[in-house]
Amino acid sequence: MKSIKDHFMFILPLLAVLIGIEFVLIFNRITTSYEQKLKNDYAILVSSKKELTTPFLRSIDSKIDSVTKINRNRIASEVIKGVEKDNIETILKNMPQFYRVHLTDYVGLDRLKKVKKELMSINGVLSVETFYQSYESRYSLFSLIKNSLNIFITILFVVSLLLIVKQMEVWQLGHKNRMRIMEIFGAPLMLRSGVLFKMAFIDAIIATILNLIIFMYIKTNGEHIDSVKFLKDNSGLLFQLSDLFIWIITSLVIVFISVLFVAFKTSEDNNDF
Amino acid sequence: MASVIRAENLTLAYDNGKHPIIVNANFSIGQGEFIFITGPSGSGKSTLLKSMYGQLKPNKGKLNVGGHDMSKISNHQLLQLRRNLGIVFQDYKLINEWTVEKNVVLPLIITGYSMDVQKVQAEKLLAHVKLSEHKDKYPMELSGGEQQRVGVARALSKNPFLILADEPTGNLDEFSSGVVWDLLENACDQLNATVLVVTHKIPTIFNINYRHFIIENGGVHEVH
Repeated sequence: MKSIKDHFMFILPLLAVLIGIEFVLIFNRITTSYEQKLKNDYAILVSSKKELTTPFLRSIDSKIDSVTKINRNRIASEVIKGVEKDNIETILKNMPQFYRVHLTDYVGLDRLKKVKKELMSINGVLSVETFYQSYESRYSLFSLIKNSLNIFITILFVVSLLLIVKQMEVWQLGHKNRMRIMEIFGAPLMLRSGVLFKMAFIDAIIATILNLIIFMYIKTNGEHIDSVKFLKDNSGLLFQLSDLFIWIITSLVIVFISVLFVAFKTSEDNNDF
Repeated sequence: MASVIRAENLTLAYDNGKHPIIVNANFSIGQGEFIFITGPSGSGKSTLLKSMYGQLKPNKGKLNVGGHDMSKISNHQLLQLRRNLGIVFQDYKLINEWTVEKNVVLPLIITGYSMDVQKVQAEKLLAHVKLSEHKDKYPMELSGGEQQRVGVARALSKNPFLILADEPTGNLDEFSSGVVWDLLENACDQLNATVLVVTHKIPTIFNINYRHFIIENGGVHEVH
């Protein structure tokens, strides 16, 4: 019973760390995808007397990705309604061109202001509309969600690592007598820590398998869970095989550091033995 | 006779030299000798023994054990040296989660002997200390005297060149003490091992005059 408890006291915080890591991976994929969507849907509207081209605008600001000319026939048809035929040509001649400017990524608000300023400084540009208000509200919401989750995951990490350290102290108490005796009789560090390595390695595998079960369940049954319904069309953003390697490597690193910590701590205390 | 242990102006102290326990000790112990070190409580008997298995480094002077300068010995060399020592403790220091049989062959496990060799050696040693029937028991199921016999069997399991015994009969009754002294004396005679026993009083059962050192006021003096 005590042994099962000992195992769970290591498996649970390790599982929490792995869940945290998977959340970071998933959230990074989601934010990247969402950022891409926001970026694709967003464009700055520019009216200019001068012809604007993508290479020219890119040379002005590296954040500018592309520029497309808006067909002004519809706008013109509204303007020339009821105008005498002789004047239509003059109106069309003096009417500016309209452009949609796409950015390379979903930039921050300050950066957006800088882009606007640079566009306005181009000779011939009459006006630049960044739709700042809607951009700001979307960007703020996006930043809030991103930062909240990062804070939550950081807290989860710290608490889990503290629990692991606590469990290491329990291990040290439970194994120090055996490890100290083995050291006195000349056992090298790896042999003295063999039992701990075996135990921690098994725990790491169990934690990884449990994590795999949790995220495979979410991936395959996500559409039935309200909170992850939004991902049903993007299930590829959930668990990916490469994540498994990241979990295994993380678990093994934590196991290795934990056991060595116990072994060195026991060895240091051996002078009082 | 080649020295197994040689101390030259050896000083041992705790707290970075602030509390000297042994001061300027000089002695030499040869192969196959049986040695007693006595002295009042707190005189530094166990401290001296600890320095011989590298638990404590000399603060000044030299201590050579089995050809190793204990001031300069590396961690790797220290582990190698310890694998060739037999150490017996007053509080037995057995691994409670291991059976008697496994405890006895701990030095063989550490050295990497095969399971077959471990089994044969365990049977032989447990028969020698008359504990064959207890091989599958755990230390806590044995009496103090029996636990100390397991401790002696463990010390003998690799035919060590040096056996260090720290108050080996300190917690035992007269009968069990007699058994332990016999085992240590036999190890010295039959294995030609050097046996160094730290005790507060030499037991009366010894009718041979072994070399005897006394620790007093930090000095180690041979009693003639």
